[in-house]
Amino acid sequence: MQQEIENTYTIEESQPAGDGQRNDTMTINMGPQHPSTHGVLRLILTIEGETIVKSVPDIGFLHTGIEKTAEAKTYHQALVLTDRMDYLAPLCNNLGYSLAVEKLLGIEDEITDKIKYVRVLLAELQRIASHLVWLGTHAIDLGAMSVFLYCFRERELILDVFEYISGVRMMTSYICPGGLQADLPPKFDDKVRDFTSIFHARLQEYHDLLTNNQLWLERTKNIGFLSAEDALAYGASGPVLRGSGIVWDIRKAFPYSGYEQFDFEIPVGSNGDVYDRYLVRMLEMEQSLNIVNQALEGMPTGAYSVQNPKVTPPPKWQITGSMEALIHHFKLFTEGYRPPAGEVFVRTESPKGELGFYIVSDGSAKPYRMHVRAPSFANLEVLPLMIEGGFLSDVVASIGSIDIVLGEVDR
Amino acid sequence: MVITAASTVETLRQKFPQAIVETVEFRGEQTIVLKPADLVTVCSYLQKKQQYTFLSSVTAVDWPERIPRYDVVYHLLSIPNQCVLRLKVQVGQRREEHPAVPTVVGVWPGANWYEREVYDLFGITFTNHPDMRRILMPMDWTTHPLRKDYPLTGFDLPEPHWGGQVPYDTDSGVGDQTLRTTGGRELNESRSHISQNQEPGTKKK
Repeated sequence: MQQEIENTYTIEESQPAGDGQRNDTMTINMGPQHPSTHGVLRLILTIEGETIVKSVPDIGFLHTGIEKTAEAKTYHQALVLTDRMDYLAPLCNNLGYSLAVEKLLGIEDEITDKIKYVRVLLAELQRIASHLVWLGTHAIDLGAMSVFLYCFRERELILDVFEYISGVRMMTSYICPGGLQADLPPKFDDKVRDFTSIFHARLQEYHDLLTNNQLWLERTKNIGFLSAEDALAYGASGPVLRGSGIVWDIRKAFPYSGYEQFDFEIPVGSNGDVYDRYLVRMLEMEQSLNIVNQALEGMPTGAYSVQNPKVTPPPKWQITGSMEALIHHFKLFTEGYRPPAGEVFVRTESPKGELGFYIVSDGSAKPYRMHVRAPSFANLEVLPLMIEGGFLSDVVASIGSIDIVLGEVDR
Repeated sequence: MVITAASTVETLRQKFPQAIVETVEFRGEQTIVLKPADLVTVCSYLQKKQQYTFLSSVTAVDWPERIPRYDVVYHLLSIPNQCVLRLKVQVGQRREEHPAVPTVVGVWPGANWYEREVYDLFGITFTNHPDMRRILMPMDWTTHPLRKDYPLTGFDLPEPHWGGQVPYDTDSGVGDQTLRTTGGRELNESRSHISQNQEPGTKKK
């Protein structure tokens, strides 16, 4: 054990090179308290002058044991844990988890179009919100302060929508196994249109501020390279993989929740540098806005949850009038439902990449094992490939371009 | 020929009949249970010949009553063919503290961190892994939290009521673990003896 600790923290002695010159390297510590590591990421950087020779990411500072906790919760209770993993995109986590539990229960076919459309609409709004936080923090890391303020201004409108439908701004748990927690409130679409009507123009403003800005180009172009082969081999996904030129989106490859009914494109980069990843996310926001508009136009009517008494509680008006309904409701929320023994792995495209939920059931009311394939975890693994050989000042740009959320990395 | 998960299972059955323990299909997902010794051979075949170039995740499941005790689970994805596959190996004989599985880092370099995570949380080691260290837990941690015998809170709690509190009076659900009985009082007091430095799940020093 002691050896393990020493292996991690030893500073390598500088050795004289063949020509007698000393190659002096210095090991410096970046994080876990550093404003540009987006949470509690620690990097142990070995530098030679300004060049990074070696980098070792050290994670686990935000390890909360969500996978362990989920084993002690019923399926419905474990839902709220998923909000807290990628805390910038809770609804996308809810969606992945709900799809996995529904697949385990075998009630996928009962999900109505209304549920699918609302889920898609909210997931895409959430993707925009997540990308806005990424854009703001990425820009502020590289010195563009005003973009941050603009991004949070627009994100606030999305959070207003979430607050309007669920009462909560961030950890909504609104999408749940079996449908939605509650029906959409009246004038929901007006609230969404408040955002969609202005966002296209605002997106143009961000483009004006950054995309062709000479300073921005110098700080992001031709740094933090990631080749397509490396991205695949290391399991990078989402905008990081697409930035390296690979056309891969789970929404297109394995359409879930009715994504096949929507018309959108997959933006792809070509070089795999920081600028390409930036551009992919910027274009993705436009596509997401497009999907939100389509979902809003074609929103079907119908029930907001499946009509399956094994999963769904009876409606409120029955609970207040009928003893059986009250007992039914009570049993459902104290004991939960019991999916058959088996295991499923469901992939979804979260804002960060491929989010997978692996749930093993032993036939009881609690998940026997819940594993989360966190996109940020795999994406962070390629960080050394991006920054080694580059300059120290580009480290911050590369971290920002991966868009990690440490809550998800450490879980 | 179009490669699908089902066709891959068939191909593997013909090519590596000695390596396959069983194949399972549940909810349309194909699972192949392999012998640990043949894992790397099969994986490199899948990666090179069947285009499973993307490793989604590596994880494990603990079945304490079963021998072998652990499932190590690999989720593969083939981007050219748009199909997915799950591989499993079963390890962990009776009283084997750190079962070993051959590493697949040589096949998919991205397995590095996943295998470290499995080692950290389950105590399963991966032979020939380039960097077998803990990744999430502190480096001086001694136990493996995702094992089923690792307690959730550090105490044996009366189930299923009371939210983990030792109740004052008897209740059919909690047996004799109440503050009116010796057993219950001991359980209650045992908490105050847990020092801040003692790791949950370990014996008192």
